[in-house]
Amino acid sequence: MAEPMVRLQGICKRFGELEVLKGVDVDIAKGEVVCILGPSGSGKSTLLRCVNLLEPPEQGEIYIEGRDICKGPGSGTGEQSWELDFVRQRVGIVFQQFNLFPHKTALENVTLAQETVLGRSKQEARAKATELLERVGLGDRLNQYPETLSGGQQQRVAIARALAMDPHVMLFDEVTSALDPELVKEVLDVMRELAEEGMTMIVVTHEIGFAREVADRVVFMDGGVIVEQGPPAEVLESPREERTQKFLGLVLDH
Amino acid sequence: MNEFFNQYFDFTVMFDHFDEVLDGFLKNLMVFVVAAVLALIWGLILALTRQLPGKKFMPLRGVTIAYIDVFRAVPILIVILLISGSLPFLDFLPKSIRIPQWFGQPDPYWYGVMALTLVYGAYMAEVYRAGIEAVPEGQVEAARSLGMSHGQAMRHVVVPQAVTKIPAPMLNELISLLKDTTLVGVIALGEAVLIGREIQSETFNSSAYILAGVMFLVITLPMARLVDYLIKRNRGKITRGSHIEVA
Repeated sequence: MAEPMVRLQGICKRFGELEVLKGVDVDIAKGEVVCILGPSGSGKSTLLRCVNLLEPPEQGEIYIEGRDICKGPGSGTGEQSWELDFVRQRVGIVFQQFNLFPHKTALENVTLAQETVLGRSKQEARAKATELLERVGLGDRLNQYPETLSGGQQQRVAIARALAMDPHVMLFDEVTSALDPELVKEVLDVMRELAEEGMTMIVVTHEIGFAREVADRVVFMDGGVIVEQGPPAEVLESPREERTQKFLGLVLDH
Repeated sequence: MNEFFNQYFDFTVMFDHFDEVLDGFLKNLMVFVVAAVLALIWGLILALTRQLPGKKFMPLRGVTIAYIDVFRAVPILIVILLISGSLPFLDFLPKSIRIPQWFGQPDPYWYGVMALTLVYGAYMAEVYRAGIEAVPEGQVEAARSLGMSHGQAMRHVVVPQAVTKIPAPMLNELISLLKDTTLVGVIALGEAVLIGREIQSETFNSSAYILAGVMFLVITLPMARLVDYLIKRNRGKITRGSHIEVA
């Protein structure tokens, strides 16, 4: 088997007394789309945020393209021990609350980091940003500020912003949870397209339909551990574990 | 009762000494403008230093916090007197700093600017900090996730948003600063209140003080109204903002 794009081994994370992740192991292959499901508080968002070191784990190892990105959290001094540059240039993330820069237009949201981080010229960054915003269907909104855009539009700008950095892996942290129901589809459509183009994606979501249709693998988490994982047809249609059955029963009732 | 009006509202005294008091007040304004610009810059530097991340910067953060705490807690008059009283005698400094007379202004002027900058830098650092802390954590996370350094995130994302949240409290600091420029009269800068004292001891009449006070009001009252306006406008913005989020 080829080297996994992302490998998580024995990831543990606690917030004070609360043990959020209790030793999670998972490999994600290049081009694979993995959906992480689970009740709130199961640790799925925290796990996702570990991958790009927004929440550095206390224990465990994270490999991205074979490189150990947290060489012993205990050994280094603060941020110096983390390979932040390596990680953040390869891993893009989209947040539940969009987190667009409100003082920048849609276009500027997508060009800012290209210029400051990748050192691209203004023209280069603009060209790339325009292309990406067109791709997510916002070619006519380039100069609008986030507050004038709908939630779905804002989230698509956020996806374009992450893609502008040419990531090898994309993380999606409940990106449709803050959206009105009628705006969910436009965001999922963009993500579906991205998956078809072969992007490696880790998606924390409550959208069972999306997971069923797009995911190569579904991971079900509860209480800080992976309870069950496998192809969507297997996990979603005939879950083996009782906790998975219970969760799916609650979610699919609606 | 007539004596009351004579003591405080003797228009002859006001009229006769109008030019002197105005000259003094212009000195207040000159101290104010330069000290305000310097304090706004110095305060931002202090606020940003206080936000530096990681263990490496812990000592620097500690020094900054101590500075801000001390200068906020000490009477400005003491700072003015400490500088003007002993800076001239610090032999290891070049003369141009010990007895500064830059841009044709006398040394008391610059001692006053220095003291007010040191103190108001600390006040304003706190205002900046409030602005910085009002920027949602997600903004920093987004910037950092895109690969920006802490400094880049501050410069391009946090500070531009922080400064839009603080015009009202910052304006309040500026009003106080303008009023506190009168303290520099103590070290013989001929500002409005000092001039007023000279006139009072000459005429045994306090009307010149009233005149000086009115001059301050002409500047500070509109500033105070502007603060109210900004607060109201900001409140409107917040309501509209949350409305958008809900919608």
